[in-house]
Amino acid sequence: MTLHFPAPSLPRVVHLVDDLNWGGVTRGVRHLVQDPVLARVARQSIVEVKRGSVTTPALEADLILSHLSVSWRNLPLLSALRGRYAHLPLVHVEHSYCEGFVAGNVMERLRFQTLLRSAYALFDGVVGVSAGQTGWLRDRALVAPERLRTIRSCAGIDDFLALPVATGRARAFGALGRFDRQKGFDTLIRAFLAVRTPGATLTLVGDGPERAALEALAHGDPRIRFAGYASSPATLMARFDAVLMPSRWEAYGLVGVEAMAAGRDLLVSGVDGTADHVQRGATVCRGRRAEDWTAAIERLAAREPAIATRLREIGREKVRHAEAEFRTAYAMLFADFCAARISPAMAG
Amino acid sequence: MPRASIVVSAYNAEATLAETLASLLGQSFADLEVIVVDDGSTDATAALVEAISDPRLRLVRQRNRGLAGARNSGIHAARGEYIGFCDADDLWRRDKLAAHVRHLDEVPEVGLSYSGSALIGPDGRGLGLAQAPRLQGVGPEQVFLRNPVGNGSAPVLRRAALDALAWRPALETERDWWFDENFRQSEDIECWLRLALTTDWRIEGVPGALTQYRITGGGLSAATDRQLTAWERMVTKLTPIAPDFFAAHAATARSYQLRYLARRAVSAGDGARALRLVLDALGQSRRPLRQEPLKTLTTLAAACALRLLGPLVLTQSRLAPCAIPATAPQTGESK
Repeated sequence: MTLHFPAPSLPRVVHLVDDLNWGGVTRGVRHLVQDPVLARVARQSIVEVKRGSVTTPALEADLILSHLSVSWRNLPLLSALRGRYAHLPLVHVEHSYCEGFVAGNVMERLRFQTLLRSAYALFDGVVGVSAGQTGWLRDRALVAPERLRTIRSCAGIDDFLALPVATGRARAFGALGRFDRQKGFDTLIRAFLAVRTPGATLTLVGDGPERAALEALAHGDPRIRFAGYASSPATLMARFDAVLMPSRWEAYGLVGVEAMAAGRDLLVSGVDGTADHVQRGATVCRGRRAEDWTAAIERLAAREPAIATRLREIGREKVRHAEAEFRTAYAMLFADFCAARISPAMAG
Repeated sequence: MPRASIVVSAYNAEATLAETLASLLGQSFADLEVIVVDDGSTDATAALVEAISDPRLRLVRQRNRGLAGARNSGIHAARGEYIGFCDADDLWRRDKLAAHVRHLDEVPEVGLSYSGSALIGPDGRGLGLAQAPRLQGVGPEQVFLRNPVGNGSAPVLRRAALDALAWRPALETERDWWFDENFRQSEDIECWLRLALTTDWRIEGVPGALTQYRITGGGLSAATDRQLTAWERMVTKLTPIAPDFFAAHAATARSYQLRYLARRAVSAGDGARALRLVLDALGQSRRPLRQEPLKTLTTLAAACALRLLGPLVLTQSRLAPCAIPATAPQTGESK
């Protein structure tokens, strides 16, 4: 008798993404689908749907994982999915919404909460991408606790773990991400203009709608530089001693895990999912004014070299298994929702 | 552990504190602690507290740090799941705490529960005026433009909502800040607006004038200048948090703020200043004129009358009651 891998009895998991989040979210989903270990427990595929569409795709699946954006416009699609696949487990992964997002973007809060409650109620389970975000979904009664779980995202950190840990006092500061109000880089530049630590530099890596405004803010300070994304994120990370995340909102912040895995200092605003990084040893600046960030950066830069290096090593150990945890959590999610379909043989 | 803590900031408050404490310790919802923060008083404030033998009453003493600093020390000491504030010259109606506890228990998304207030004079007698703010549908815009929370003795907050605001400035070594101690005025509105702009906790009111809020003197025109300065500092401070929000609403909010200060100037009998303020208000934005035409025009009329005819006109006319700066925005009402 021949044993086929992947076994034909493996549950089929379909990931739904929409055209708008075909970017950061997809990077994570693609990583998930290509994972060799998960390939032994499920056959995964990605299906793209058009945002706002009301026609649902024909899916061959045992479990449907939605990475779709929740909006009033997308609600008909989500409802139609629920209707058409009423017999299948339907699980939503919430990649974007978090408390800071609502605080910074939503004026009609009641209406928005109604949207979220209605949308999430369509799913058998909802996955938050950080404990900070999940806590919010639970405390605001947006999702019933028994249907809620946390899976912290990870898009592969081996390259970062392979870097030598930064040594000595932090001088090269980096901030990576989309140049968007969300990231708080405007506050960061204002803060850095007042940093007096000799030799300190700030490099902003990314692009986006605020580029011109940010460049204007930084104008005249040769310590502040701008750079585009490199093909290898780890090579880029190697240039920095410390990574700064002054985000106004952040469901999780993959770059935080990557910085810690690389053995870099990490300074975060502590909002939403960035609180998860703080739990694992990142430094937090809770003040939102530029002055608060100036002080926090100078404090970080003043750490004794031996202590700084030691803290980076500790931080790396805290996230060393982030990818394994991520993979295991998804394997468990598949198992929980496709229990009937995973053959006993797979248990070994 | 008590379910609710009430923080009483007290600075040289011997004249009014006993009555305030009686109103708090006599709340129908009795599972509470009252934390009096004696903010460096030079009178008998602390002795008064020590003379009351109620185990639910606690005294915290500190060097003078101002209202925000006193409230912060109170929050730091508080053990309740809900934390209310009552300044040492205001009073709470007997059922106030019960109403807020019920509200916060029933609606888990509410982080700040407030009520309207009845205004009382220096002698504690009712002025027949009330702050009756909007209770529902309060977002950042309403907080900024109309401050429905009203005054510092009106709200009861969920501890978790307060803690979402906590931070520790670089030079602070003792405890966190919730209110910004750099503000000596506008510290209330700064805190509520920061709550609205940086968290999604709901701000919602319960019916009734459950606080008795004391209006004392406060007639000095110079005070309105300081108040406006503090208000502008708040806008400057918070703008980086939400630049788009302030770009959209600052002019209208400033207009309301100026109109409010104009009303204060009217009641202080300073017609020239009142008129200038109300014209400044209209110069900033016409929205108050559209949204609240009666009140805006009354203010304009009162300022004109006062300017042209002198202070007597107000004491002898029916304009007097509406000229008292009774209603929102009640930011940083000086006492």
